[in-house]
Amino acid sequence: MGSHTVRREILAASLGLLMGSVPASAQIELSGSYAPILYEDYIERGPGSDLGDFTGMPLNDEARAKALQYTSNLPSTVERQCLAQAPWVQMYRPRGMSIWREADGAGRVIAWKIGGDFLRDTVTIWMDGRPEPSPNVLSTAAGFTTGKWEGDTLTARTTHMKTAWIRRGNGIPGSDLSTITAHITRHDDLLTIVTIQEDPIYLTEPHVVSRVWQLNPRANPDQYVEVNCNTANEIPRLQDTAIVPHYLPGKNPEADFMMRTYNLPKEAAMGYAESLYPEYRKRIKGVYTPPASCGRYCCGWIERQGLPGGAPGLTCNDGGLGDLGPPRRDASEGAKKPPPAKK
Amino acid sequence: MVPLMLSGSVQAQGRGAQAPAPTTPRTAAPFDPTGYWVAIISEDWRWRMITPAKGDFPSIPMSRDGQRVAEAWDPAKDQAAGEQCRAYGAPGLMRGPTRLHITWQDDNTLQLESDYGTQTRLFHFGGTPGSQGAKTWQGVSTAAWILAGGGRGRGGARRGSMKSVTTQLRPGYLRKNGVPYSAGTVFTEYWDLHTEANGDQYLVDTNIVNDPVYLQSPWITAIHFKKEPNGSKWDPTPCDAKF
Repeated sequence: MGSHTVRREILAASLGLLMGSVPASAQIELSGSYAPILYEDYIERGPGSDLGDFTGMPLNDEARAKALQYTSNLPSTVERQCLAQAPWVQMYRPRGMSIWREADGAGRVIAWKIGGDFLRDTVTIWMDGRPEPSPNVLSTAAGFTTGKWEGDTLTARTTHMKTAWIRRGNGIPGSDLSTITAHITRHDDLLTIVTIQEDPIYLTEPHVVSRVWQLNPRANPDQYVEVNCNTANEIPRLQDTAIVPHYLPGKNPEADFMMRTYNLPKEAAMGYAESLYPEYRKRIKGVYTPPASCGRYCCGWIERQGLPGGAPGLTCNDGGLGDLGPPRRDASEGAKKPPPAKK
Repeated sequence: MVPLMLSGSVQAQGRGAQAPAPTTPRTAAPFDPTGYWVAIISEDWRWRMITPAKGDFPSIPMSRDGQRVAEAWDPAKDQAAGEQCRAYGAPGLMRGPTRLHITWQDDNTLQLESDYGTQTRLFHFGGTPGSQGAKTWQGVSTAAWILAGGGRGRGGARRGSMKSVTTQLRPGYLRKNGVPYSAGTVFTEYWDLHTEANGDQYLVDTNIVNDPVYLQSPWITAIHFKKEPNGSKWDPTPCDAKF
């Protein structure tokens, strides 16, 4: 670097300090590794959604019909095990992520990258003002994303996605005409991402989700960036049969799962937009009564840490969630003994 | 990052003959939080829209004591004891199926009302008025603006967030089915406004419930509300321990 260049940079820096010249479109450092905080929708993001649970979704009839054809055997077929998921699917999965920036020769950020994994491509958020490509351009697993700073929030818009399931584990469809707006805001070590998905094919209104990650400076960046997806014969009886697992319309035995398990009115679990708003609660008052006890995925976090937590009168059944954490003790260990029968 | 936080009124110093009007938290607001907002229950639907079964509390890092208290939940007893608002204290209220009406009570105090349980929260910029009184469902909230870019920069729209910290909370529930928080809880919130290309606005409340008694670690979530054009759907309903 020549002395003139150095002097120019010092001059520019000095002027910048004098003028307080942080751009009005402020920005904030996003680079780092982030751990997921699974304190919302834990069942979906941990073991996976219940079949037939479309609560919280604004689906149209076509989406509902398509989702009810889904069986969890479908993604287990060899040709679908490594099928790319949607570019912002981390909102529904129990995985962390790495974020880094790419700069040009002058140090200007031209893109932010959100690292992918074995099921999700790396998302590149272009910051260099390039235009959105023609609608006829090939859709990819990552989609095409541009971004801009709005204060300390990075707002990104993704188009050109492939058809992919929305949410996790129960077949809610999203079309390749979807667009997703994402607002990425960092407060101290917390990173909040809000996604707003619009889909003229399957959604009746924008689907909005907000999640939080936590900066994890101890993470090995590679921990969150895996690229290899290996297939295996998960369902031997389907091997070489050309069978595509599905349910025919009206034949899904899990369509009423949420009714049977949680006493929900049937339409409450079927993803009608009206069920997202407070007035819906008033509508089902008198129709819904809570189950007498919790039958599955109960016991809070104590049981999952291997500590006894069940109380008399409660059936302690965490539905296998303990497999995600430390080994569990025997469920009866440490449980209170019933009082002796009176003579 | 060293964010610039504006928490009190600032007397601007002008050099001209006429001094400019003093800057207050209200006039310094980097975004307009006022108006009617509705919670979109697109997450944790079964725990937020309806009252789940006793013992149904995944997602919350409860301590052993917290779990013990939650498993003793008795809504009929709460109702009979006049404790039907336990799930409507600030940390539980914000995740409820509610509409919000946010207004400025005065230049230093932002008021948030909910139709769900007819609660009122007050956010005091520049410190809290009065002494430490009795603990209440909504506690005492202090607030400050966090200006984007540390408040530096010239031109363009002013942007930023609001940070609030709530203490002095009367013990209540994080969820309708009796997941408890204690009197020592500190409830920290970061409020951000996002405006879409079509004009839709979302108010996002990233929040941290820190309870050393009933939680093993802070419970961190984000809640989103959509702006409504008016209060035509505002429907006040009293606290209800059972539903």
